[in-house]
Amino acid sequence: MKNYRKHLNFIFAILLYVAFFYFVITRVGDRLDFSSYIDYRMLLFKGWLRTIAVSILGVLLSLIVGLVLYFMQQIKRFPFLHSLAEIHKTIIFGTPLIVIAIVAYYFIGTAFNINSRMFIGVMTLGLYIGAYIADIYKGAIESIHINQWQTAKMFGFTKYQTYRYIIFPQVLKSILPPLAGQFALTIKGSALLSYMALNEFLNEVNVVQAISYDVMEGFIILSIGYWLITVPLIVAVRRFENKLHVRVVK
Amino acid sequence: MDIKLKNIDKYYEKKILDDINLELKGIGVLALIGPSGSGKSTLLRLIAGLESFERGSIELNGVELSEGNLTEFRKSVGFVFQDHNLFSHLTVIENICLVLEKVHKRDSIEARAEVEKLLDKFGLIEHKDKYPHQISGGQSQRVSIVRALAIKPSIILLDEPTSSLDPVLTYEVLVAIKKLIDQDKNVVIVTHEIGFAKEIADYILYLEDGKIVEHGDRDMLKNPQTYELRGFLQKVLTFSAVD
Repeated sequence: MKNYRKHLNFIFAILLYVAFFYFVITRVGDRLDFSSYIDYRMLLFKGWLRTIAVSILGVLLSLIVGLVLYFMQQIKRFPFLHSLAEIHKTIIFGTPLIVIAIVAYYFIGTAFNINSRMFIGVMTLGLYIGAYIADIYKGAIESIHINQWQTAKMFGFTKYQTYRYIIFPQVLKSILPPLAGQFALTIKGSALLSYMALNEFLNEVNVVQAISYDVMEGFIILSIGYWLITVPLIVAVRRFENKLHVRVVK
Repeated sequence: MDIKLKNIDKYYEKKILDDINLELKGIGVLALIGPSGSGKSTLLRLIAGLESFERGSIELNGVELSEGNLTEFRKSVGFVFQDHNLFSHLTVIENICLVLEKVHKRDSIEARAEVEKLLDKFGLIEHKDKYPHQISGGQSQRVSIVRALAIKPSIILLDEPTSSLDPVLTYEVLVAIKKLIDQDKNVVIVTHEIGFAKEIADYILYLEDGKIVEHGDRDMLKNPQTYELRGFLQKVLTFSAVD
């Protein structure tokens, strides 16, 4: 009974949002016409797949970049590396992704004769998101109690063994939810790569919008396209968090 | 075991250990006692090579501890922490086997069989596949004792192993420590259990304000020579049922 009421409330909430957007669409636009988008469906689908691909590759790279940045800041013997990582993070935190995307493709890419937009796109996302992921690692690793480090030291574990067998298995549980959150941000952030003329989802929709002048339809398709990727991800993360929570309470 | 402590000073914000000097030969069980903040746990951690010190030297069984031999030395020492310090993501048996397999490079099947025998001896075999949060504080501390013993150490150091336990759990851990000592293990123990120290220790150090105030064999507790130890024993034993 309780579950039934919960579902009913959820449906009402959804209907309220649908009514709101329906009101906006009918007030602003003419009759919706998706025919051009149907004609160009393969182009859109490829753009959508490219968005997923660039996001996945960007996230994978950012996991490595984050780890490298974290360790660069931990090695006390090389303060130069610490400074390099700190400056990288400060630049990233202080600059909009759109600016970085444009500079990366039109200036850095040109300077180094790199023409692959996909390559620069993935690198840009990886280096950008990696700065945030370094802080996720840092928070999770610092939350491991000092006792665990001391015990590892006392029993003669090397630094590598301590991270590999004691710290990372404990960290993994706590970083998965924020990492998945970063993944959703990466997917959304990948839209900004359209500024470097990468043929991802937003860019392909823009193309059809320019041809057909059906602008609003394009934004409806864009929203649905991104939701198809991000909503399952968000739901999966919530489920995972609940599962972790249950395990902790047990 | 032979222990030689020479002119040891240790500072945090203030002086924690002040010119510690001691030379003991052929001691089986050494107990460090004293009020909280007296420096006894710090001294134990220094002996374990867990912390550095500003001045002095430590020699164990004829080997002086130095930066160069510290890692190897630690592998030969079993340490039981105040709060058991089991790895929370590993089961009881994994907690012990991980050390044997990764640090001591033991064969995993062989190590597991050996650890199961030890767990059985310490009445823990039915808990071998449980995680630390699924067993009691006393059981966790006993697992921690088995972990220290499993590496076949030349010496076992115990840092107030019963301080966070209630009397019933304290009893079961003390029984486990007794078992450990019965296996002819060299032990250095920091404890508040004066009655227990009196029963097991070959030699006792009484520390106060970072100094060794009195030291001697277990009879020292029956007949304290210093005003400080007399005062300490009076306070500790007044409400205790231990002789």
